[in-house]
Amino acid sequence: MEALLAFTRPPLDWHALAPELTLLAVGTILTLVDIIWDEKSKQVMPTLAGVGLLAGLVPILTLALDGTDRAMFGGAYMVDDFALVMKALFLIVGYIIVLMSVDYIRDGDYYENEYYTLMLTSLLGMLMMASSRDLISVFVALELLSIPAYMMAAWRKGGRRSNEAGLKYYLMGVFASAIMLYGMSLIYGLTGSTSFSSIASAMALNDGVTAMSILGVLFVLIGFAFKVSAVPFHNWAPDTYEGAPTPVTAFLAVASKAAGMVALIQLVFVAFDNHEVIQPFFWLIAALTMTVGNLIALRQTNIVRLLAYSGIAQGGFMLVPFAVAGQASERALQAIVIYLIIYAFMNLGAFSVVLAVSRKTRSGELESFGGLFQYAPGLAVAMTIFLAALAGIPPAGGWFAKFGLFRALLDAGGAWAATLGVVVAINTVIAFAYYARVLGQMWFQPIHEGDERPIKLTSALGSALVIALVATMAFGILPGLVGHFGEVAVLSTLGR
Amino acid sequence: MAGGMLTIARILRPQRPTRQKLIAYESGVDPVGGEWAQSQIRYYVFAVLFVLFDVEAVFIFPWATRLEVYGLFGLVEMAIFIFILVLGLFYAWRKGVLRWV
Repeated sequence: MEALLAFTRPPLDWHALAPELTLLAVGTILTLVDIIWDEKSKQVMPTLAGVGLLAGLVPILTLALDGTDRAMFGGAYMVDDFALVMKALFLIVGYIIVLMSVDYIRDGDYYENEYYTLMLTSLLGMLMMASSRDLISVFVALELLSIPAYMMAAWRKGGRRSNEAGLKYYLMGVFASAIMLYGMSLIYGLTGSTSFSSIASAMALNDGVTAMSILGVLFVLIGFAFKVSAVPFHNWAPDTYEGAPTPVTAFLAVASKAAGMVALIQLVFVAFDNHEVIQPFFWLIAALTMTVGNLIALRQTNIVRLLAYSGIAQGGFMLVPFAVAGQASERALQAIVIYLIIYAFMNLGAFSVVLAVSRKTRSGELESFGGLFQYAPGLAVAMTIFLAALAGIPPAGGWFAKFGLFRALLDAGGAWAATLGVVVAINTVIAFAYYARVLGQMWFQPIHEGDERPIKLTSALGSALVIALVATMAFGILPGLVGHFGEVAVLSTLGR
Repeated sequence: MAGGMLTIARILRPQRPTRQKLIAYESGVDPVGGEWAQSQIRYYVFAVLFVLFDVEAVFIFPWATRLEVYGLFGLVEMAIFIFILVLGLFYAWRKGVLRWV
């Protein structure tokens, strides 16, 4: 009893927590500034948020230079190289999205302070997700990143579509959380622990394949499959992406999906060892996600919906390495990390172009891209590069991501990996068909409504575009650059 | 299991609906008005704020019972926790939510 009542202060590693604390502090400052100066402070909000995100990168750099793995709270919170790479990615993505949002949010006269505070909070959740090695901290991180995103999806309060987007996202998200919690409770009941490393060793002891453990593992994975909008749990994604404000769509399609992937990586590579259950599951949903996403994308006439389905299909590509996580774990992990990094930049770039064009045309339909090359050649070329990257055509970045997938599949070998490779190849071809439709629209169609006014690119949106463009091209021409991040992103498995 | 029990009960029980039985139960009084009665939206804001501080209290009570054990560390932690929550209250006040319009 005495031992139960005693309390020792948990050792806190301030250096390891610095990126998270920076975001928390900046979010608090944003609210404080809003409380004190109210309307007058609107102009500085995006600047403050952007500076805060960049400031968060500083401790990540010093931690990376330091290079030691830090564990806190009994291994529930790990700061290892994998976590650092993903945190840096989240912060940079967040920064680009702030750049994309500035004019959209200001022109629409939406709430500014709240928007950036919520985005910072959501990013804080993503940073936590990258470090979580425990069921409870994963769940807390997931809720912290999801709840602000539900609100951001419904940001255009007056628009019915935006409300629909927010509500659908919220209901499906909560439903997924419930399923996941049920799975977590089963796993906790079986292994008696919430920490990933203990779960792994406990499952290894009793062979990991009891009906109950399969159920628990699958429920947890399905919860995150909702988050990364994997088929058949993707139904919310197109409506939410179309209805939400476009910068928020980019945020959901890139940052939120990456966070779900990070959670899946940690679960599959650290916690769940029973690959004979996990691999067929991932084989199935990866193949389904790629195929269904691509086939439905073929028929889309709205550019945001097209990108939404393309994002679903890209998520399917990212799920491929999980299907060989047992045989080629290192290669598989690298392939996913590299794919995530490249996908983030090329997709953000495509969304920036959509934002820029729709600022002029006020339309999300594919026809609004008609004749883009004639009055905005720069944007048309940029969009071409991003779409080529998404389709996987060198020299734009995407080819290296796909290359990583095939390398992981080849390393694993065997009939299952080979068939999945064929599915990936077929889907790459299908994807090219609808990316080419957008290209055809831009280069060969007449100008939309004969409106030849050039597109005025604001400085913030322009910078977002340039960052995404430079990164996409750099990753394509110097694949070693991103390959390096893939190789250093090693999960510290804590005594396994 | 819950679904099964409800289904079995539905099959077994006698069903003799009468007009009296089918009216909505409102504590034995005859129901007044339609079933889609509107409630004022302004109650909603207060309900949300109430939940916020109710949950805060849930965290503070167990902390308060063991205040000495947690010592200075616990005090600082709780100060940060309350600060962030009070920020929310200030925010609501500043945005004019607390005014009864």
